[in-house]
Amino acid sequence: MAKPEKVTLQEAIRLIPDGSTITFGGFTIWRRPMAAVYEMVRQGKQDLHLVEVNGGTHTEVLIGAGCVKIWESCWVGHELYGKLGACLDRFARSGKVIVEDYSHVHMLYRMLAGSMGLPYLPTYASLGTDILNPEYDNLGRFGLRNGSHPKIPKKKYEIVRDIFSGNELIHVPAVNPDWCIVLAQMVGEEGTVRVKGQKYSDVEAIRASEKVIVIAEQIVPEEYLRRDPDLNLVPPYLVDYLVELPWAGHPTGCQGMYEVDGQFIKNFYEKSKTQEMFDSWAQEWIFGVGDHYGYLEKIGVRQLEDLRANQVLGYSTRMRRGSR
Amino acid sequence: MTKNAELAKPGEYKPLDLLATAAAREVKNGDIVFAGTGLPMLAIMLAKLTHAPEAVCIYEAGTIDGRPIHLPTSVGDARNEYQAAVAAGLNEVFAQLQRGLVDVAFLGGAEIDRYGNVNTTAVGRYTPAPEKRLTGGGGNPDINSLAKRTVFIMVQEKRRFKERVDYITSPGWRIPKWPSGELVPKQEVYGKFFRGGPSAVITNMGVFRFDENGEIYLDTVHPGFTPEQVKENCSFDLNISRVRGETLPPGRREIELLYTVIDPEGVFLA
Repeated sequence: MAKPEKVTLQEAIRLIPDGSTITFGGFTIWRRPMAAVYEMVRQGKQDLHLVEVNGGTHTEVLIGAGCVKIWESCWVGHELYGKLGACLDRFARSGKVIVEDYSHVHMLYRMLAGSMGLPYLPTYASLGTDILNPEYDNLGRFGLRNGSHPKIPKKKYEIVRDIFSGNELIHVPAVNPDWCIVLAQMVGEEGTVRVKGQKYSDVEAIRASEKVIVIAEQIVPEEYLRRDPDLNLVPPYLVDYLVELPWAGHPTGCQGMYEVDGQFIKNFYEKSKTQEMFDSWAQEWIFGVGDHYGYLEKIGVRQLEDLRANQVLGYSTRMRRGSR
Repeated sequence: MTKNAELAKPGEYKPLDLLATAAAREVKNGDIVFAGTGLPMLAIMLAKLTHAPEAVCIYEAGTIDGRPIHLPTSVGDARNEYQAAVAAGLNEVFAQLQRGLVDVAFLGGAEIDRYGNVNTTAVGRYTPAPEKRLTGGGGNPDINSLAKRTVFIMVQEKRRFKERVDYITSPGWRIPKWPSGELVPKQEVYGKFFRGGPSAVITNMGVFRFDENGEIYLDTVHPGFTPEQVKENCSFDLNISRVRGETLPPGRREIELLYTVIDPEGVFLA
């Protein structure tokens, strides 16, 4: 049984070639492998093709830093801390990023089909919307559906007749990203992955992808995870590279470990509204800190301790969240 | 404890309090509710604490029937999982949605047309490059497709209530049939998988519903506004002939619950 290779964050990210198709574990501003995203920016990745069930703060960092060429997904924003993706808005308007809009179910089913080894999956979700407007097939408009791009399907979708009911039905094409990067609370020494709390669409993203990098908040004895196999997400042979790195999701939240850093994201959102402000933010928080530990030192012990989750509740009870 | 029979008087509540209570009243006891981030969370929690204790909440990120003791700030929040029946993932909750288990869902939008088609994708021109991108659809169109009833919570502005939205992200009662794009009744497109659609739109000025032809009309107007003022804040010719009267203001007990039990930290209710 193949086991994941333990590498450093820098080594793992160096393996990803420019132009790769990439997906991430997590959900909007929860359990995103932010340390990996910052390292991708430091290494100056180019022409990435993101295929995401949903986007979030990590998407905006990659787009703002000029790493992304194509974004296929359904949503980007920062939840309560930033109402939209300001970088995507800017890069899409200038044509630097090509956006393909799907619905959440469409994206999930594209990933699910990929994870099952199927060419497509059917759904009724989001019939009768402009997502299916033939004129709004952006990858098609840019001539990228000619079959020469292995990760771009020849059609955005197909409306077919359900052969049993005669009903209108959508087929969405499978996606098999080149790389998937997932943040997990716990990984065994041999590579068994355990995710605490909501599973989002992590298992679909992992199984669909060709190569998988898992960032573990902590690596634990394999024997411990195998006492309760029902709690585990995927076996070791689905993971190619394993990196152990605490707080690797900051400023997104990691169930049972730490809270979303709302003020940090809010500040990033404000700075993401112009390229000039984004660039100086990236200088301060990505390039200027050198590496992940420099980043954590800059955030500071006090803030990290406020974000640390209560071990019973799974989230922080010390952080001020509202106006009272 | 304050009795809910006592309704708050104008000046004793904020616009958000009325929005949250009006939304909560759309939940029936026993409903399976699909809720998104923000005001919908306040609404479902309020409904469960008042008239709908048997209602069950499903969050898009994968949590089913949580009993949070601290207000979640988004659907991915660990707070949703407290005392939940199941913490699964998107595939589980979307499968339940497609299976037809969701009774009512709360959604938002930047623009809406007279048939309840909603835009959350981009305003202005979409091609060759979008003039102004919004968040994108997320699960909004999926939920609006497949839930039995949906309730939209929106800001009332002329530029948001439009004859034709710039991009139909989420399907209302008359929707494009592709490839022609001709607008046809939703039932024609969804066939045997038709379950319903938008049942109410709640704004800072009133509550809207949809008639037999799937067209929006003003149902109640919030205290302090007139139907004519609401009409002036729509770009299309709003039907105000069916207005039943004023929206019931929040009860004093509902306000107390909102500020002391549901959002004591002031996360959404500043």
